[in-house]
Amino acid sequence: MYLFANATIYLGLAVSIYSLLIITLGISTQKQKLINSGKGGIIAVFTCAGLAMISLFYLLGTSDFHYQYVVDYTSSDLPILYKLTALWAGNAGSLLLWTFFLSLYMVMIMSSRKMKGNPMVPYVTSILLANAVFFFFILGFVAKPFELSNPVPAEGRGLNPMLQNPGMIIHPVTLYLGYVGLSVPFAFAMAALIMKNMDDFWIKMTRRWTIIAWLFLSLGNIFGGQWAYVELGWGGYWAWDPVENASFMPWLTATAFLHSVMIQERKNMLKVWNISLIIISYALTLFGTFLVRSGVLTSVHAFSNSNLGLYFLVFMGIAVIGSLYVLMSRYNLLKRSAGEFNSFVSKESSFLINNLLLVGAAFAVFWGTIFPLVSEAVRGTKVTVGTPFFNTVESPILLCMMFVMSVCPMLAWQKSTVKNLRKNFLIPAILAVIGMVLMVVLGIQKAWAVIGYGVIILLLITHYLEFYRGVKARRKMTGENPFLALYRLMIKNRRRYGGYLVHLGIAFITMGIIGSQNYDLQTMKTIDLGKSIEIKDYRINYDRLDQKKEGPNDVVFADITVFKDGKKLGSFEPKKIFYANSENEPSTEVTIISSLKEDLYVVLSAWENNGKATFLVKVNPMMDWLWIGSFMIVIGALFAIWNGKYQNITPRYTGVRKEVA
Amino acid sequence: MKNKAYFAILIILFIFQGSFSHAEAKTIDYKSAAFKAVASQFLCTCGCGQDHYECDPNTCSLTKQFKKDLVGMMNKGWDKDKIRKYYLNIYGESILTAPEKSGFSLTAWVLPFVVLGAAALSLFFVIRKWVKKKETGEMIIEETDEKNEVENEIFSSMIDEERKKYL
Repeated sequence: MYLFANATIYLGLAVSIYSLLIITLGISTQKQKLINSGKGGIIAVFTCAGLAMISLFYLLGTSDFHYQYVVDYTSSDLPILYKLTALWAGNAGSLLLWTFFLSLYMVMIMSSRKMKGNPMVPYVTSILLANAVFFFFILGFVAKPFELSNPVPAEGRGLNPMLQNPGMIIHPVTLYLGYVGLSVPFAFAMAALIMKNMDDFWIKMTRRWTIIAWLFLSLGNIFGGQWAYVELGWGGYWAWDPVENASFMPWLTATAFLHSVMIQERKNMLKVWNISLIIISYALTLFGTFLVRSGVLTSVHAFSNSNLGLYFLVFMGIAVIGSLYVLMSRYNLLKRSAGEFNSFVSKESSFLINNLLLVGAAFAVFWGTIFPLVSEAVRGTKVTVGTPFFNTVESPILLCMMFVMSVCPMLAWQKSTVKNLRKNFLIPAILAVIGMVLMVVLGIQKAWAVIGYGVIILLLITHYLEFYRGVKARRKMTGENPFLALYRLMIKNRRRYGGYLVHLGIAFITMGIIGSQNYDLQTMKTIDLGKSIEIKDYRINYDRLDQKKEGPNDVVFADITVFKDGKKLGSFEPKKIFYANSENEPSTEVTIISSLKEDLYVVLSAWENNGKATFLVKVNPMMDWLWIGSFMIVIGALFAIWNGKYQNITPRYTGVRKEVA
Repeated sequence: MKNKAYFAILIILFIFQGSFSHAEAKTIDYKSAAFKAVASQFLCTCGCGQDHYECDPNTCSLTKQFKKDLVGMMNKGWDKDKIRKYYLNIYGESILTAPEKSGFSLTAWVLPFVVLGAAALSLFFVIRKWVKKKETGEMIIEETDEKNEVENEIFSSMIDEERKKYL
């Protein structure tokens, strides 16, 4: 097994190097035979990565403690699901997962029906192969997943209890799918530049790839937040930790990219900007990996310190410098078709402002993340840049972003006149202001909350009007009933209406964030058995403290009965789990009672021999909206990329070079 | 007589001062807004990555003592700025959860907005250039009616649909 498993890695490295070289040679000599050989190599690379994954799954599943990775992240009593998902609990395994996704994407591109006969494919695959070579090199020589343990222990160290949660099964996978996914549009952009194809073909070909990568990045962040909320027991979901920031930055720039490509498609403008954005997004995914693996910044998410970060830094440097060189060498060609704007007030301008704010927000996150290093380098003092900084700096930028998002759909392409603005915005603006006044009257008086909710009202109204007008126009022309008209309107312009659904999802998420950040209540009390804690309209009776065994783990739990306005909501059991084979603190299992209005969040924090127990109790308003909004983002993105009857047109390749494909 | 009375009051105050402060200390909930304002300024150094407001005193002895000290200072009537200054003098800026808004650390707060402002200004000039280019190149296109734009899109999608039937 040892030989086989390691052979998959080293063979993968050898074949990826071979494929890269042979495809490059094929491109330069214009020999299809060589390209085909390289394509065969890509399938072999995928097979190697797949077999390496299966091998590691097998070793983890069978608790083969001859292998250091199995020892480090599992124990024999771990449930089989967590044994298997321990594959991405450590450095080597998670990089193997990354490599597997990369090779999977390469095969998907290569064998896609839409890519058949596309001369960009050899260029794209060679760029992705360069990535694969790097990852296989790391797996072969730096972070080895199949290293033997010496001596062989009788038992493994077990999986970090915090990672034993369904959220942690999905969170890394989705995040990696997003990270790796962004390398696809990057590779297409580079291929287009190298081939001197200055049209928007690469954008059209990667439109769905980019949305899929963006969706997975979104899901990665959402699942991460959800995991933090239910597992960490502090009642929050986002802490602006450097590693969280690392996944948020490419999300922001990818969002900017998704919007700005529309300008290129429509007006043949912003070519340099779009390519720069995708380079930045790709570089940020590597930067994130560098942060997680290097230990250069303090983070609760970081893998154990290793020299991996240095390799990623070097690779990132090569990738960025190389892509900037390609960009600069084609700069004159890209600038040749710079377009024109009709007016300051137009949809085009709003997209540019959107880009400015998104990239500005990404820069602010980047700056805040690296500032401790900058400060240490300049002054010798390492400062901490935490939540207060990011909340203060990001809130106004993202609020402006929400405002642009709410007005953009109602602006006309080319030029919006005063008449147009008055017609589209007067009523929504009046309603938003009325909403804000009502909020103040009803007791919501924090400035950020009032402004934020006001903007959300504006967004909801403008988006409603956008759907309403579309349906109305369609009905006028076809006489369809409203539901059929809405259905057909949406499926015939999936990208636009999918995008609007995503906007609505973002609005709901923002509602949740504003509510939970500004109006949360919490208390921490130590009480005797039979006593109760009161918070807002809730009463929590503490009935019993006991302990039990759950498999190999010891569990201490409290029985509590929760009442709201005197009405019983039920009995619950917040607990602490002491995992066998774990030297870490016990894991927290919180009680969350959710409603659309708020969550009651109860944590059993501590207890004494005399039965006294300490509870952390929080009331988090509007948390469900955050999850509903997240769900809407997924629905909107899937709707936008769904290959329906009306979206099956493959753009025609009109590039200069057509010799090999 | 008067002096004796003052003396007696002083003795009583001295005897019960502990009880008074104790009673006051009890009223401070570690999760109260007042305590949050003070404790969230300081980073817990136990490695949890949280501030002293969030960090659980039941699992972290470091924050337990720190919280007690904070309550003590609050009971003495110290406000959050005074407490901040106190710890800043002892531990330096590294104890804070966010950089100071002075000296070099001010750049942390200001730079994002400076960059954003400069980019916004550049964007303004770029759009102005593009608009001017358009104006000099040709007549401005008549205003686009949003309603017509939607109708045109629907109409063209219907034509497309019909066209595909014959492809």
